[in-house]
Amino acid sequence: MLRKKRCVAMLLAGGQGSRLGILTRHVAKPAVPFGGKYRIIDFPLSNCSNSGIDVVGVLTQYRPLELNAYIASGAPWDLDLVNGGVFVLPPYQTGATGEWYKGTANAIYQNLPFIDQYDPEYVLILSGDHIYKMDYAAMIAHHESHGADATIAVRQVPWDEASRFGIMNTDKDDNIIEFEEKPKNPKSNNASMGVYVFTWEKLRKYLTADEYDPKSQNDFGKNIIPAMLAEGQKLVAYSFNNYWKDVGTIESLWEANMDLLEEHPEIDLHDKKFRVYARNLAMIPQYVAASAQVDNCMITEGCEVYGHVMHSILSSGVVVEEGAQVIDSVIMPGAKIKKGAVVRRAIVAEDAVVESGAVVGEGEGLIAVVGQGAVVPDGKRVAAGEQFGEE
Amino acid sequence: MASAWLPANNSVKSEQEDKTVKNIMGIIYTADRENQLKELTAERAVAAVPICGRYRMIDFVLSGMVDSGIRNVGVITQKKYNSLMDHLGSGREWDLHGKRAGLVFLPPFTQSNNSVYTGLLDALHANLHYLRRSKERYTVCTDAHILFSAQFDAMVAQHEQSGADITLMYTRDPSTRRNSYGRYIRVEEDGRVSALESDPAVPHMPCTYLEAFCIRRELLITLVDEAVSRGCHHLTRDVLMEAISKQTMKVYGFENPGRAWPMDSVQSYFNCSMELLNKDTRDGLFPAERPVLTKLRDEMPTQHRPGAQVKNALIADGCIIEGTVENSILFRGVHIAKGAVVRNSIIMQDGEVLENAELEYCIMDKQSTVRPNGRLLATQNYPIVVAKNYIV
Repeated sequence: MLRKKRCVAMLLAGGQGSRLGILTRHVAKPAVPFGGKYRIIDFPLSNCSNSGIDVVGVLTQYRPLELNAYIASGAPWDLDLVNGGVFVLPPYQTGATGEWYKGTANAIYQNLPFIDQYDPEYVLILSGDHIYKMDYAAMIAHHESHGADATIAVRQVPWDEASRFGIMNTDKDDNIIEFEEKPKNPKSNNASMGVYVFTWEKLRKYLTADEYDPKSQNDFGKNIIPAMLAEGQKLVAYSFNNYWKDVGTIESLWEANMDLLEEHPEIDLHDKKFRVYARNLAMIPQYVAASAQVDNCMITEGCEVYGHVMHSILSSGVVVEEGAQVIDSVIMPGAKIKKGAVVRRAIVAEDAVVESGAVVGEGEGLIAVVGQGAVVPDGKRVAAGEQFGEE
Repeated sequence: MASAWLPANNSVKSEQEDKTVKNIMGIIYTADRENQLKELTAERAVAAVPICGRYRMIDFVLSGMVDSGIRNVGVITQKKYNSLMDHLGSGREWDLHGKRAGLVFLPPFTQSNNSVYTGLLDALHANLHYLRRSKERYTVCTDAHILFSAQFDAMVAQHEQSGADITLMYTRDPSTRRNSYGRYIRVEEDGRVSALESDPAVPHMPCTYLEAFCIRRELLITLVDEAVSRGCHHLTRDVLMEAISKQTMKVYGFENPGRAWPMDSVQSYFNCSMELLNKDTRDGLFPAERPVLTKLRDEMPTQHRPGAQVKNALIADGCIIEGTVENSILFRGVHIAKGAVVRNSIIMQDGEVLENAELEYCIMDKQSTVRPNGRLLATQNYPIVVAKNYIV
């Protein structure tokens, strides 16, 4: 028997994230680069580490190679422990049966033995699609002080966007009295953040029951939460009003990157007390040449800048050659922008090359995307909103 | 036992050598040359001096060893080694935190009878237990006060092939700084080293010895034992020089490609740093196939805020730049405030240059601050050093 843990975190990282289009063709969404030297999964993993949660199960299913390699021993997040640590949990065969994760709840159900090893009081359910810094310990304390069976983190969203979210209607004591998935006429703007704390004993019971319900979609939002509400369990909302952004679409991923370039960004990556950790190679400091013009940018190690970069993010190992222009864009690790190329309102994925004379993001409209490893040839014009790369 | 027919220089022990890793161990000697870099070495060994934005001097030889397949590295320290210990930690960043081998920290006074090391020979003698306990056939021993990209694997390959007793790493690069602090050698056409001079008033020999050599581990143990019993302290002067001049051993040279920068003064440190702003120079010190590893610090990317002007600069992560930076190197976490101007300077970790301050030809050590409107203008030939934690 392993040593008992008060709380075990389970991070759902198996989805494809198909709304990210070409960006998730080769990698799972949580492994998509963000903010110059991070990946989306760094945020929940660092939150765990900073909240004193030292057992994290990462449930993978879609294209796990890059994610596995990235997490590896968990050392960058201080999660390489003798007693605990980070564990990658893919679906597995069990003699006669064995199946893919059918839904978020089923993914946890299939890993009951993993959680049971630690005999926890609470289980924290997280997802790998949001950029935010959150002290889960405070949420667990809230769960405990309210004597809740389940606590759901909620955040106020603009009213006109509320119908895109799972909305929690609460009484004055934070008790959830109603849950509506993407309501047409929302009664409140408290959106679920997809962060849940459950009392393990209760969740275990509901997961098992859900598994034996053939009509269930085995999903937390659609099945587990409604079932608990229906049976009068105590569900409590925990409001969180700091920066939180879903980066499930190309536009929102771009916007979240651009948020970092605000004069006072709502999410502070500089804060030494609550660091966001990442796995990075030791690369040489960035070189900004005499020919370069850099204005309002975030640039990281391994970059070489000879051209003009404005209001953009350059990730590790990016080269912007002389005469090239990068404006309002996110350039992911290892990409090269050649002499005289123009990149505007775009995301250029890992190791892509924009050749001299190419233009990415021509015209007004949505964000243009260049896929991983793609080469945009001389003379090619990738229009705004277009995704360039292999089909 | 089969040992009877083995040549005298092979002992039974060598049969048990570990064949799964390259058969080389490394020793990095960090105890010498404490005061040449003035304030920069006031609280740290030369091996721990920060360089090129995010590295320490020792990273280059240590990464060179790791790249060469060396998995057992002893770091001999003497004084002011806190900074070095903090930097190296468990050796994780160099993949030297394994069970079977790894980084071995060798501080002084681990053996009851040793006092302060006068030279490398003393240091090796005090750590003979470590040399004896190691299993590798060859030892690569190096100092850490010269900045260069070392190809230790090629040196050992040549050492094996030539049948040398000792192989010295050197450079012929004419741009290498030569003065009365260095060691220079003459290498004959067949590769044999015919002469060595140490700290000459004026260097005569054409090649600069990079103070890294390769030797069979057991031969090193024998040499150290024997020399210490004769009352010697210095390996280079008392053992190597004698072996070369009297030709008692086969001493060969290995020419390491690329440039080398001995750090023997604040000026040489400054000049080297400025040379690294040149891409070709930098590419030579950081070959793509030989990554230089160092301690990681989880800084966010550097922010070039609106109004920042950066020209010809090397900048590590975690900086906030609101002012002007030209021909300079910024280490991690540096803040250049609005209106501040930094030219031809080196600002180490967490340094702050506040509003409208101006710096030229300065080296600011870690965590030092220049207050608003402060001015520190030096000249190229006499850069100013601002000591660690100092507020100007």
